[in-house]
Formats: sequence, structure tokens, C-alpha cells
Amino acid sequence: MSYLSELAALTDELIDAVAAIPKTQKRKLKSLRESTVQSLLNQNYLRTNQFEVQNRLIGLVERFRIVDREPLGDALEERLEALKPHVNDFTPEVLQFLLELSDKPAEKSRLSD
Amino acid sequence: MEKSEKQAAAQQAVDILHEISTLLNCQLDRRTLSICISMIENGVKPEALAEVVQKLREEGRVLMADIEALAAKPNAARRK
Repeated sequence: MSYLSELAALTDELIDAVAAIPKTQKRKLKSLRESTVQSLLNQNYLRTNQFEVQNRLIGLVERFRIVDREPLGDALEERLEALKPHVNDFTPEVLQFLLELSDKPAEKSRLSD
Repeated sequence: MEKSEKQAAAQQAVDILHEISTLLNCQLDRRTLSICISMIENGVKPEALAEVVQKLREEGRVLMADIEALAAKPNAARRK
């Protein structure tokens, strides 16, 4: 499978998982697929700096502790430690993606989730 | 490492990353996270992917609101 067709297939899956647009909305799905693939091909981003990602995560652990949410800080630290044996070339990128999508975790995250 | 062992290790890594995503309040389910990991492994930049996910969430919300509004219209007309 070529790079573009693989990306298009993954894009279809992503649209289905995130936007859940009914299959009957063919025109909408087609335009969304095209614009999404175009956005994903945009390479005007710097390469992920793994040390910066690490510092942001350590900063977050500290922030959880500062705002009196120590169990969240401990849980995050534990998961980062557990991830170490599984680290590969893409792990910093995946962690950066999670940091980009993160939404006020010190206020909104719940350990029960 | 055997294939099944490799798969088990990969699953474990996704489980841990999913737990991290929950702690960071990323609002990602396991399936979406797995798709996103595959995309990143295919060279997609994390910032571009995060922007796309936000945009798709918004598109999904708008479309669902439109569909609900359309579905509600005939009822409103009937009530008149």
C-alpha cells in the first residue's frame, strides 16, 4: 500500500472514530477526507524535541502537586515510568500529540476515569 | 521476540499511553488513540494531527446539531 493510500485509509478511520459522520453523508465525508489529508500532509512543523516533551511532562507532574492533586501527579509519574520499556522512535511524538490535545488536566482530570 | 509477544507488548504500550491520555484529559478513546499512533508511525506530525482531531470533533458536533435540527423541524411543523 502506498504512503498516500495508507494515510487516506487511516484518515477514514479517524473521521469515523472522531466525527462519527453518518455514511449517508457522502459529500460531507469526501470533502472532510480531502481537507483532512491535506492538513496532515502539511509538514511545516519542527521536529519533536524529546527533551522538551519530557520537561513538559515533568512540569505537569509538578503542577498536579502544586495544585494539591498529588494522586494525579503520582499516577502520571507511574505511567511514564511504566512506558520506559516500551519507548521507541515515535514515543516522543505520541506524547507530544497527547500534550497538544490535553485540556486543563490540573482542573479537569479525574483519577476515577 | 515472537510475533504474539510483540503484539502483547504493543498492546501494553497502547494501554499505558491511553492511561496517560486520560490523565491529561485528552478525551480520546482507545480506538482513536490507536489510529493516531498508526498515523504518527506513518510520519504524520503530532501538531498537525492534534489540530485535525480538534477540527473533526467540531465538524462532528456541527453536523450532529444540523441533523438534530432537521429531525426536529417536521415535529415543529406538525405541532403548528
